[in-house]
Amino acid sequence: MRKAGLMWTVFGAAALIAAGCATYPDPATTRQMAEKMVSEDFTAPAPALLKRLAQDRSQSICSKIGDAKLTQEEAAEVVKLARASIQYPASGKLVGNWKIGDDLAHDGAGDRIQGGRLEKRKENGGLCQNCHALAPDEINVGNVGPSLTGYGLKLGNSEAIVKLTYERIYNAWAYSPCANMPRLGATRHLTPEQITHMVAYLLDPASPINKR
Amino acid sequence: MPNTRGGLAAVLLAFLAAWGAVPVLAQSDDPLGVGRKMLAEDNPGELWIERGKALFHQKRGPKGVSLEQCDFGQGPGKLEGATVRLPRYFPDTNKVQDLESRLLSCMVQLQGFNRDDIVKRAISPAGSDGSDVEALALYITSRSNGMKMDVSLSHQKEYDMYKAGEYLFYRRSGQTDFACVQCHGEANRRIRLQDLIHMTDKKGVQEVVSTWPAYRGAHFTVRTMQWRLYDCFWQMRLPELKYASDTSIALITYLHYQGNGAVIGVPGFKR
Repeated sequence: MRKAGLMWTVFGAAALIAAGCATYPDPATTRQMAEKMVSEDFTAPAPALLKRLAQDRSQSICSKIGDAKLTQEEAAEVVKLARASIQYPASGKLVGNWKIGDDLAHDGAGDRIQGGRLEKRKENGGLCQNCHALAPDEINVGNVGPSLTGYGLKLGNSEAIVKLTYERIYNAWAYSPCANMPRLGATRHLTPEQITHMVAYLLDPASPINKR
Repeated sequence: MPNTRGGLAAVLLAFLAAWGAVPVLAQSDDPLGVGRKMLAEDNPGELWIERGKALFHQKRGPKGVSLEQCDFGQGPGKLEGATVRLPRYFPDTNKVQDLESRLLSCMVQLQGFNRDDIVKRAISPAGSDGSDVEALALYITSRSNGMKMDVSLSHQKEYDMYKAGEYLFYRRSGQTDFACVQCHGEANRRIRLQDLIHMTDKKGVQEVVSTWPAYRGAHFTVRTMQWRLYDCFWQMRLPELKYASDTSIALITYLHYQGNGAVIGVPGFKR
């Protein structure tokens, strides 16, 4: 019975297309077609680099189309995966050197692929400047993310704030599931040590970010 | 040359409109704004139009023929208003094609050029005179200046491309967790000082679909929509987008259909 029904649906759809009644493909078909394109339409200097195109579970959940909202279950899963991803530096010290953090915050390079070559550096830039306001006198800063000016002045530098700041940079989705902010530590864009320098840059009273 | 003058007027109008739309505060906050405006008023990209026109009519390639028999959807050689209907389905290739992939088909099939050679040179080095494809794409698009974007979905493959493009616009991947929408989903956003176009908004997406190919100031050359997409994926730390690939055509189909009604004014001017 069910088989017959399915057959008629297929015939019906084919007949509609033949009759010129083309229409939007359903989400599963769309996904299948688009994923096939992604698998065929990119090149990289090493096959391993093509894996960057594959989505992990969280990215897949966080790719809602249009105004579609995350369900509570999905948000909880993203948070859970994010929590599980967070690793701390071997030293256990979460606050590094704010001067190194300052440089990192203004460095937008590393790991891009162009002309068949990977932009390989010892470490990637932190990308902060692209999206966040930083020191009060800086003009060349983006506004896709919230302003970080005075971050340490507002929040202080208690142990709890240090941990929160580290974790939010390492994997922002632990606190804001599917936020625009990249999961800089979890995706290995930055190392745990680099993140400790950014924590210092955000929290140290001597950092330009906290200039009054 | 009434055509060129009309084109210039349209470009000027488009820019005046664009500047009018920017809040006054944002303008005075932007130290690059003055220089940007001066350049836009005298768009060097205009020079590429004549070159594209010459290339279009020249007998070229191993077969020694011009592109006058190339059909962009309005019939062989008919360029007026052709790009406002692109991307669209073409029965001869059995594919949905954007301007640049269609141009590629013609250069290969009519003129006998080697596809890989053209693709390799399609996006020119910064500071160069630009590629043949860049000049041709600008010339052909300029023949739709002043006309409204009017992409329609009727063939099943057009519906498929549109939906795939929408899916890709929101598909997050890579070490930056970015899809297009992370940077282009809100109004008045910037990466450093560069304005990001709000593409989930009608006016924003209309600005995108009506201003490419454009003169790109930082590169001293004309860039096309294919380049624009390639460059976004580069910045997202993803692998290199193949020129004229289905992924690119899907995204362009999605954006162009969303931008229907936009008045074409090329070359645009970009920082």
